[in-house]
Amino acid sequence: MESYLSGLFFLPLLVSLLLLILPKNLVKPLVIVAAVALSAMSVIAFSNISGAQYITAPDYTNNIVFGLDVLLLCFFGWVAIQRKSLWVGILSVVQLAGLIYLFFNLSHTQSAQLMVDELSGFMFILINVISSIIAIFSLKYIEQEDCSPFRRKYFLSIIFWFIAAMNLVVSADNLEYFFLFFELTTLASYLLISFRKDEVSEKNAVTALWMNQIGGVALLSAIFYIHLNQLGDITFTNLLSNTGQQAILLPLAFISIAALIKGAQMPFSKWLLGAMVAPTPVSALLHSSTMVKIAPFVILRLSPALKDTSLSMVIIGLTAFVFVAAALGALAQDNFKRILAHSTIALLALMIMMAALGTPTTTIAALVLILFHGISKSMLFLNAGILEKVFHMKETSDMDRLSETGPFTAMVMIIGFMSLLLPPFGAFIGKWLSIETLGSFAIESKLLGALTIVAVAFGGAILTLLYFKVIGVLINRSGETDKISFEKTGMIYRATMYMLLGIITFSIFGLPWLLTQYFSPVSEATLQQAATVTSEGWNMLIGSVSLPIVPLAIAFLMLPATLLTAMFIRFKNVDRAKEYMCGEKVNYSFGSFYFSTEVATPWFYSIGIAFFLAMLMVSLL
Amino acid sequence: MTNMYISIILIIAAPLIGGLLYGFERIVKARMQRRIGPPLLQPFYDFFKLADKRKMVVHSAHAFLGIMHFISLWFALAVLLLGGDLILVIFLHLLSSALLILSAYSTRSVFSHLGANRSAISILAYEPVLIIIAVSIFMLTGSFEAGAAFSSNQPLLYKMPLAFVALLLVLPIKLKKSPFDVAEAHQEVTGGVELEFSGIFYEAVYTAKWLDYVFCYTLIFLFAGSNLLLGFALSIFTFIYLNALDNSTARVNYKQMLRFSLGVSFSLAFINLLINSLS
Amino acid sequence: MNLSGYRKKSPWILHYNAGSCNGCDIEILACLGPKYDIERFGMINTGNPKQSDILLVTGPVTKRSRERLVEIYAQMPEPKVVIACGACASTGGVFRGMYNCEGGVDQYIPVDVYVCGCGTRPEQIIDGVVQGLAILEQKTKELEASVKLNNEAIEENHQVNRRHIAASIK
Ligand code: SF4
Repeated sequence: MESYLSGLFFLPLLVSLLLLILPKNLVKPLVIVAAVALSAMSVIAFSNISGAQYITAPDYTNNIVFGLDVLLLCFFGWVAIQRKSLWVGILSVVQLAGLIYLFFNLSHTQSAQLMVDELSGFMFILINVISSIIAIFSLKYIEQEDCSPFRRKYFLSIIFWFIAAMNLVVSADNLEYFFLFFELTTLASYLLISFRKDEVSEKNAVTALWMNQIGGVALLSAIFYIHLNQLGDITFTNLLSNTGQQAILLPLAFISIAALIKGAQMPFSKWLLGAMVAPTPVSALLHSSTMVKIAPFVILRLSPALKDTSLSMVIIGLTAFVFVAAALGALAQDNFKRILAHSTIALLALMIMMAALGTPTTTIAALVLILFHGISKSMLFLNAGILEKVFHMKETSDMDRLSETGPFTAMVMIIGFMSLLLPPFGAFIGKWLSIETLGSFAIESKLLGALTIVAVAFGGAILTLLYFKVIGVLINRSGETDKISFEKTGMIYRATMYMLLGIITFSIFGLPWLLTQYFSPVSEATLQQAATVTSEGWNMLIGSVSLPIVPLAIAFLMLPATLLTAMFIRFKNVDRAKEYMCGEKVNYSFGSFYFSTEVATPWFYSIGIAFFLAMLMVSLL
Repeated sequence: MTNMYISIILIIAAPLIGGLLYGFERIVKARMQRRIGPPLLQPFYDFFKLADKRKMVVHSAHAFLGIMHFISLWFALAVLLLGGDLILVIFLHLLSSALLILSAYSTRSVFSHLGANRSAISILAYEPVLIIIAVSIFMLTGSFEAGAAFSSNQPLLYKMPLAFVALLLVLPIKLKKSPFDVAEAHQEVTGGVELEFSGIFYEAVYTAKWLDYVFCYTLIFLFAGSNLLLGFALSIFTFIYLNALDNSTARVNYKQMLRFSLGVSFSLAFINLLINSLS
Repeated sequence: MNLSGYRKKSPWILHYNAGSCNGCDIEILACLGPKYDIERFGMINTGNPKQSDILLVTGPVTKRSRERLVEIYAQMPEPKVVIACGACASTGGVFRGMYNCEGGVDQYIPVDVYVCGCGTRPEQIIDGVVQGLAILEQKTKELEASVKLNNEAIEENHQVNRRHIAASIK
């Protein structure tokens, strides 16, 4: 067990180093072998975890962690000087001062620094499997990127380093350690976003840096608060064991703020939107398996303590608001990656909301959403990369007729979009569970519950509309030719797509099994409360919510079958006629409905800030 | 058990009932305009005639999606009539409308695209209201099942009158009746999403419209609980209201529709939800 | 099953104005109103060639409109009937011999019924449509081509591609 864990921590680090040193022709095999090994190890690690497992690092690691922290912050300070960014500078200095104070004043008790439980195992699978596929994809993508051979290796190296940092984040128990790993992911994202080295990249990377550093400051504040008020060890375990006490509310609020910043909730959505300028695998990585997933993870981790507190109410309010606002933002976009980014923010809000509700059912919903969102989003972003490099398309309005020139890519993207919201895959179940549990939630806490339902209903409708808008572009074709021949995109691209398709197919057919064997134990371990998934007659009971199996299963099969058949079906003995255009024979190009949310955005941000302040206020009172 | 049989018979007969409803509606509408109007069975004559035309498509995907629109709508109706989960029903209904919209998007036809965009907007206008009504029903009956609403002894109407009003306000959007018929708008976009269908493939879309009638009137029946008489009274009222509205109003554009629906209908349903949750 | 009997019970009409003075068009619209109420016979003015059985053409076919006329005709699924409404549509009427039109719909597409009158009366139109219905009932589902501006339909893979059977004027 321990060996698998250390494998998950150290293998990516090792690969990351090796990639920098080794010659070019060894890169490919190394990445592929490492990807396979990591995925396998994560699965084995998950299946071997039973109950929380504490790992105590030797004493000197405290010093190493401190040293690394200082180095990291110094690097940020250097960035601040180089980029002349006042914000980054101030935040780095503040953190450095706080850290040094803590190092000399905090008694380093012998409590465990790392803790691995089912939730961490769940995240391991998500992080390692999905990121590995993205790493393999990047092999080809980065070849087509215009940069020096060394930078190509460097790019892959950071990806592996990112994986290592993520694996560590989800297994940290001690907040000091968590702080380091948290900042490590910040650093990795900074390096990746600024990879293209042009002006916009640098600017957006710095934005991402300072925003995430606020998260770092918030984390340090949490540590300070615990230390000064002598609330015991600065560990998650300790916080959770004090559930129900007013005193821990403020540190909880600080940690939640840090998480929500990583999760790009408004007003901090800007860093994630700015990250678009990086090479596409970076977006895939940030959006699906790493970085932003820290947010729902942390909230899930804290959910037993958060449940039914005023703090969680504010978090639910914030996420309900963000869900609608970001969905609206997504509907207003034309650029494909931007659409995906906005919808990530919206769905993250939904996940965090589910996590904050903290009932067994919503926890399962959150887990389902986290996993399926990871799979689908990585698939879609990787396809965005293919579109960019192979078809040279960036806007959705350029993409009509893709089903003629690139039917395979179009098909995969359709599957990806369907899996984001619709019943064949998990995400719909997630949305549905949320509406149904929110119903019971609303019975308990009237106004907020009702408002949240409205938000979910409304945001859900907007997102559905959005996905159908894009799917509509993807299946658009003229009746000119009826032949379909799959395009050639390259071996690696094709292979990664097949892997993701395989995972999705597995999840469709294995969903009942996954619910009982995978999601339910994780949620049980997270909440310390049984989350039952049973079947009763024709219904499947998840906690208090019952899902009718038959109609769901039919709907499960109908939608994907319909869309895929539609792509390939050809009626015999039928005429093909021209589209009706009042008899004109002009060729039109098609757009979709657009509107602008630019005027509303500052308002959205202000409301977001108000919510963040409210989080602190309610925990102070 | 008898309930079950009734539901199954209703499901199988749904296109017939819908067709008769549609035929009757055309007569009533004509009478309101002081015309005589077509025979009652006119929709079925149309049906048979359409089956007899030479088959023609824009491309197969488009026609196929149209057929699937019909099938999925029938399926949604079946789940509703069997007393299934309301959220699921609303979702399935959304799915079937979405398939029609997708079929329109799949062609390179200007009017289809316009119609599809407008239909998409109208989904945005009515879907949240329906979900809120479903949640209100949940608060009153403690279950999302339509069956619970059908069998409740006290009609839901008395507890949620505002939600009923909201439903009445969004039904014209769903059934594409004036003033909210931008999605179809024969004079502007010549039918919008259904423009490119012809012959036997149009039949699917045409009969789907009948199913939509049955679907909407079943939603009305939800409010009557187990009181069938009240259910019929409400349906007749709705029928007259819809036709009178259709005949007496002019079309508004999609922005006005969205604003009205989200401003008025949505708020009504929401106030109703609040009242239900507070009491 | 023989369904051709239903054709005359639900004739759907497409009305195309090929450059008329609007006189005949107004008369056609009058047919829809309460006085003549052609919906009694199940007729609908669809405005959409793909769902129509009867093409009512008014006007002398101007040079601007002829290509569109043929295109629309090609988009109507068989069986279909063309009714030329008014003197213009039948022969060119008052516009005959003018530089911008060629006089008569039958120069471009096969016409089944000619309705006379400069400003046809609604009764005449209804009568013409009824005669057209008799013809419609006899028609088969064979592909019908236009008189001029006609390309052969291509059959490939058991599908007839009629996208380009309406040729454009060079
Ligand atoms: S026939 Fe007479 S009324 Fe009709 S379009 Fe020609 S000129 Fe006008």
